[in-house]
Amino acid sequence: MSEPPPDIVAYADSVAAMSRALAAADEHAFRSALSAFDAVRDGEVLTGVRKVTVELQSALRRFEIDARLIGMAHKVPDARRRLEHVLRLTNDAAHRTMDLVEQCGPLVQRIEQGMETLRAGAASGAAPGSETGAAAGALREQARASVIECLHGIRSRLGDVRLAQSYQDLTGQIVRSVMALVDELQRALSELAAIVDGKEAAARREQTTVRGRGPVVPGVEHGQVVSGQQDVDALLSDLGM
Amino acid sequence: MSAQRNLNFLVVDDYSTMRRIVKNLLNELGYPNVTEADDGTTALPLLKSGNFDFLITDWNMPGMPGLELLKQVRADERLAKLPVLMLTAEAKREQVVEAAQAGVNGYVIKPFTAATLKEKIDRILSAQAVAA
Repeated sequence: MSEPPPDIVAYADSVAAMSRALAAADEHAFRSALSAFDAVRDGEVLTGVRKVTVELQSALRRFEIDARLIGMAHKVPDARRRLEHVLRLTNDAAHRTMDLVEQCGPLVQRIEQGMETLRAGAASGAAPGSETGAAAGALREQARASVIECLHGIRSRLGDVRLAQSYQDLTGQIVRSVMALVDELQRALSELAAIVDGKEAAARREQTTVRGRGPVVPGVEHGQVVSGQQDVDALLSDLGM
Repeated sequence: MSAQRNLNFLVVDDYSTMRRIVKNLLNELGYPNVTEADDGTTALPLLKSGNFDFLITDWNMPGMPGLELLKQVRADERLAKLPVLMLTAEAKREQVVEAAQAGVNGYVIKPFTAATLKEKIDRILSAQAVAA
């Protein structure tokens, strides 16, 4: 005969006691054995309820995280659009700045020419009252006006260069909002991984080097990196280049 | 020196601002002939059909990255000896070694200075003149 399951064995003593009490017509003993039987049964039900509660809690928690993840998943395309906007803003600002710097080049050249005219006029020594002197004076005045106009032009463009840097305020705000989403996503995924695996998510796989990794970001683990151009030169020199 | 001014440069970078910066620097260094491409996929046909004397390329680009472009250049009989300068933010030691093994002539880390770019170009051109 096979052994009865362990959870049934727990009832054996109280069933035997009830059987004995029935045979002896001992009501007190029977009720006492019945109470013992109920206690075993209650214990079993409590264990079951506790197990179901834990599972329910875990399922609810997972559902809550799933719901959060779904909410965040809807925000990802939005975050992408935001970052694309950041790219556009930085690109526009860089081009605007370079446009202005390039426009300053010919202005500087005109200032140099104007200064040369003024210097040559001062060195010519033509009498102020003479015809030559009057012509030289007009030329100097023209050069002086040109220099002033160019200086104003440069000053105005420098102001515009300063203004073009205002992209940083806008992009900073957008990048911060995306960082907040990434933080939230990371927390939810970590919690989900903790529920599913009972531990942190597995370490991310190392990328291949062929595609490239992008710039070194302070605070982010990059492995062995060069510290700057001197380090690169020393490394290439070691390699015989 | 005047012969060098006629050198044809190809600058490959996915960011138009960086291409513009490099192009302006090259112009200021006395190299007016600069063509641009935004990744290896667009650069390679240009290199194969054009008459370029110097390639300056970024590493991390969509489409074909700079390292792959370098390998394709070295694998092409007509382009194999083309001077290639890698101008990149990729700063892992193993990447510098990988680029060197793939046959790069110079490696400049971003952000860079005009002086560094000039020095590397001059050095590569001098080495090429000695080898010729």
